[in-house]
Amino acid sequence: MNTELNEYMDGDRELEDLSPEARAEAEAWQRLTSELKADEPGQAPPWMENAVMSQIALANAPKESVFDWLLRPRTIRLSPLTSLAMAAAAVLVVALLPREAAVGPESGSPAVVQILVEFSLEAPGATTVAVAGDFSGWESDFVLEDADGDGIWTGRIPITPGLHKYMFVIDGTEWVTDPGAQRYADDGFGNRNAVLAVAPPAAS
Amino acid sequence: MSDAEVVREILGGQHEMYRVLVRRYQDILYRHAYRMVGQPDDASDIVQKTLVSGFQKLNRCRDPERVGSWLFRIAANLCKDYLKSPRRADLSLEGASERLASVLAKRRGPDADVEQEELKWRVQQALERLSPEQREAFVLKHLEGRSYGEMVTLLGASKSALKMRVLRAREELQVLLKVYR
Repeated sequence: MNTELNEYMDGDRELEDLSPEARAEAEAWQRLTSELKADEPGQAPPWMENAVMSQIALANAPKESVFDWLLRPRTIRLSPLTSLAMAAAAVLVVALLPREAAVGPESGSPAVVQILVEFSLEAPGATTVAVAGDFSGWESDFVLEDADGDGIWTGRIPITPGLHKYMFVIDGTEWVTDPGAQRYADDGFGNRNAVLAVAPPAAS
Repeated sequence: MSDAEVVREILGGQHEMYRVLVRRYQDILYRHAYRMVGQPDDASDIVQKTLVSGFQKLNRCRDPERVGSWLFRIAANLCKDYLKSPRRADLSLEGASERLASVLAKRRGPDADVEQEELKWRVQQALERLSPEQREAFVLKHLEGRSYGEMVTLLGASKSALKMRVLRAREELQVLLKVYR
């Protein structure tokens, strides 16, 4: 590239000061860059704001304390011999618990907020439609309804703010990706999970 | 409310105020990321990562009045990391073949449209041959219309180094110019 053209491109020289040849090239550059500028979406996608705020809320959500973890009901299947060993171990665990954990959760810690999210899937001919996601441990616990029999299954599910992956489960066996999802993510097994961003309630 | 005031509120515990910064800067970050990586989904991922990371490191922002430039630097670095990543090579090929397919599909339309699409595709291909640093310099200078002074502030590189990167980018892209003359 010649010097005068470079000076023009760097803003150090006016178009009128260029030789006819350099001016033609400068004008070609203008056409090229305006072509490039024209070929772009102008704005961040509409889900961006809520996705960012959800991730932030999730990162700042109160962590479950050791005490909560110990008190949370869960099903554990044990053989009789293992039960005896676990009983002995439990005595040891309680003895080793830090003093704060034995007292209980911090007072005044905020309650976990859940937002009702409406799900909907058009599945004419289905007998049941459920939603399974990371919020349900991928169990098909949340069943949708089609009260008027029009093939559109809907239901509201309480979900904590944050980014969540989910799928629909038709008739208990057929896993279907939500065609109307905000976003998608590969599940690592060749399928796509739908991704949902649940925003925390706006501050009052 | 100035950026510095917003940052102060966030660091004081009003995390919801970060929404103000997201609204102020998401579009400018997205346009830069899109110009750098050429794919809307990847540009969105980069912006999302930038804004979340910006929140997490906000207490390290030395000049809260210029938090926008600080976020821009995070995004600019993520764009360059993306362009250097091995995964990018596959995506680049994918993107190129998708664009070529779109050009071929439009062959059914009027000739003028086909030529236009082919030009865009060739420009995009040429941009992809640039190094991430050259591409960044070209994008900032000629697509975002920034001065070298602004570029120095944003990228922390010297003016002469930036001028050299822009010059090299122009040289790479000059082969395309003949179709615009």
